[in-house]
Amino acid sequence: MNSRLIHVENISKRFKKPKSFKMEKESLRSIFLFQREYKNAVDGISFEIDEGEMVGLIGPNGAGKTVTLKILSGILRPDGGNVWIDGMNPYKDRKKYVAKIGVVFGHKSQITYDLTPLDTYGVLKCIYKIPANIYRDNLERFCDLLGVNEFINQPVYSLSMGQKVRAELVCALIHSPKILFLDEATIGIDVIGKEKVRKCLRELNKSDGMTMIFTSHDMKDIENTCDRLMIIDEGKMIYDGSKTSLYEEYSSQRMMEVEFEKPQQEIRLEHVVCTDSDNNPMSKYLYYNHSDVNYNEMILKLMRDYPVKDLAVREPEIEYIIREIYRKKKK
Amino acid sequence: MRRKLKIYLPFVNAGMQETATYRTNWVFWQLGNILGCFISYFLWRAIFLSSENGSMNGFTMPQMIVYIFLMFLTTTLINSGGTYDIGEEIRDGSISMRLIKPVSYNATFLFQELGNKIMTVCILIIPLVAGVEVVRYRFTGKMQFHIVMFLLYFLSAIFAYLINFFFNICFGFIAFVIKYLWGANMMKNCIVGFLSGQIIPLAFLPVMAKKILLVLPFASLNYTPVMIYMGMYTGKKLLMYLGLQLLWVIFFWGLSKLLWSAAIKHLSVQGG
Repeated sequence: MNSRLIHVENISKRFKKPKSFKMEKESLRSIFLFQREYKNAVDGISFEIDEGEMVGLIGPNGAGKTVTLKILSGILRPDGGNVWIDGMNPYKDRKKYVAKIGVVFGHKSQITYDLTPLDTYGVLKCIYKIPANIYRDNLERFCDLLGVNEFINQPVYSLSMGQKVRAELVCALIHSPKILFLDEATIGIDVIGKEKVRKCLRELNKSDGMTMIFTSHDMKDIENTCDRLMIIDEGKMIYDGSKTSLYEEYSSQRMMEVEFEKPQQEIRLEHVVCTDSDNNPMSKYLYYNHSDVNYNEMILKLMRDYPVKDLAVREPEIEYIIREIYRKKKK
Repeated sequence: MRRKLKIYLPFVNAGMQETATYRTNWVFWQLGNILGCFISYFLWRAIFLSSENGSMNGFTMPQMIVYIFLMFLTTTLINSGGTYDIGEEIRDGSISMRLIKPVSYNATFLFQELGNKIMTVCILIIPLVAGVEVVRYRFTGKMQFHIVMFLLYFLSAIFAYLINFFFNICFGFIAFVIKYLWGANMMKNCIVGFLSGQIIPLAFLPVMAKKILLVLPFASLNYTPVMIYMGMYTGKKLLMYLGLQLLWVIFFWGLSKLLWSAAIKHLSVQGG
């Protein structure tokens, strides 16, 4: 028995997948030959989470985030390792366990497609046996926080994606869960809506002490809500620690965005790593360590050797830090 | 028990509302089935008219016609889409959304389907039974409707529906292994249709085959209720066949539970 709320020990999950073929000829052959490849979606992950923590789970596509959350929410059974949450084993005590958690998978729907959100909430009220007064309070509170009231009586098929996702969030909260798992739960929501969601999550964490784990590809989501980050890649945990210590570790890192008069092939400067800009073909990103370079020399050399039009120095953003961690791992 | 059932009431309601939302689809579906029923009526009429003594394997033409319409009524009452629904949920991964609810997976399907079944039965049972009785009256010249027989028929149809439902659920779990069930489902429907007497009365088959099929669960699906309605099973025989049905209900219910706990270990939710 463990005093921590969530206790995950060395879990792994392996998937079978049909081998993919590049050529038509090979695809034809694949009809007759069943060739399978195995992939370790989750490969020996361990962590512990205390009550009331807000944890961001990040990683590139296919890193194993969703599979991890599915194991935590009792949907998948890990091939190896142990999961122990709130004194229960999620897949063995599934019915008892899932009554205490709320789950949103951004690209799956638990809300009934043909009915209105309010109908679905009514169904959930019975399923979770929510007392009438708590149901009424929760409904009012969450619909208000997430702005669901305006479309609560419209059939779900007539809602936009962002509206649907917000309605889904209410589904996950209506029974006052102890733990919340959110997988890409802000997908398709506009900027104002996202801010609403983040505010709602922060409030729930603060006032209700709700424990949360969530994944997102929008780093702003993570940056504005989580205190702790777990970064996974290829099924393995590559970072687990507080957001501030991650910042500190990279606080001497700087990024300079330089725009040139005309496109440049390569920038040669000492201690500087150069990458292409995502959105401007004329720009480059220069990465360097604050303490390694002499600014005077570096800037002089840059100005002398290259046709610089504009430049800006930035402190590392979470997005950059994550990219750095992925990049280091690749090497 | 009552408290337990209460959790599933909203699923019944959701099933009813679903049917109501897609009424036009429902109407076309039923119309299509009725058309199919008339096709087999004309087919069998032609067969009987070309036979020498107007009787085949103990069936007279009026009996055969009543059989066709009763078979249609029974199929409407007992059909179950569980296989297809489970297959789809496994294929597109939406099964995970059902698993995060503190409810039994099989039971949610059962009660949701009961919802649209109740709608269908409420709307169709009176016109369909009246239709069958009119046909019976026209061909035999006397009113044969018997309320006790009808109630026994209804009970037998409920058993048949439960057998069908749990059988389909069991079959649906194959999707955990082969991922996509459409083809296998078509094949199953054909085989079950034949073995349960939907297409040809079991009495038309060789004696040995008939004997075997009567014990197998398939006859308990369509054939037993129809035979009861037609008054072919009475007294001890009737009780025996009802008992057999109940046995199959229990068997497939147990099997579905067993398969579920085995299959869930196999789950590898598709689509992220």
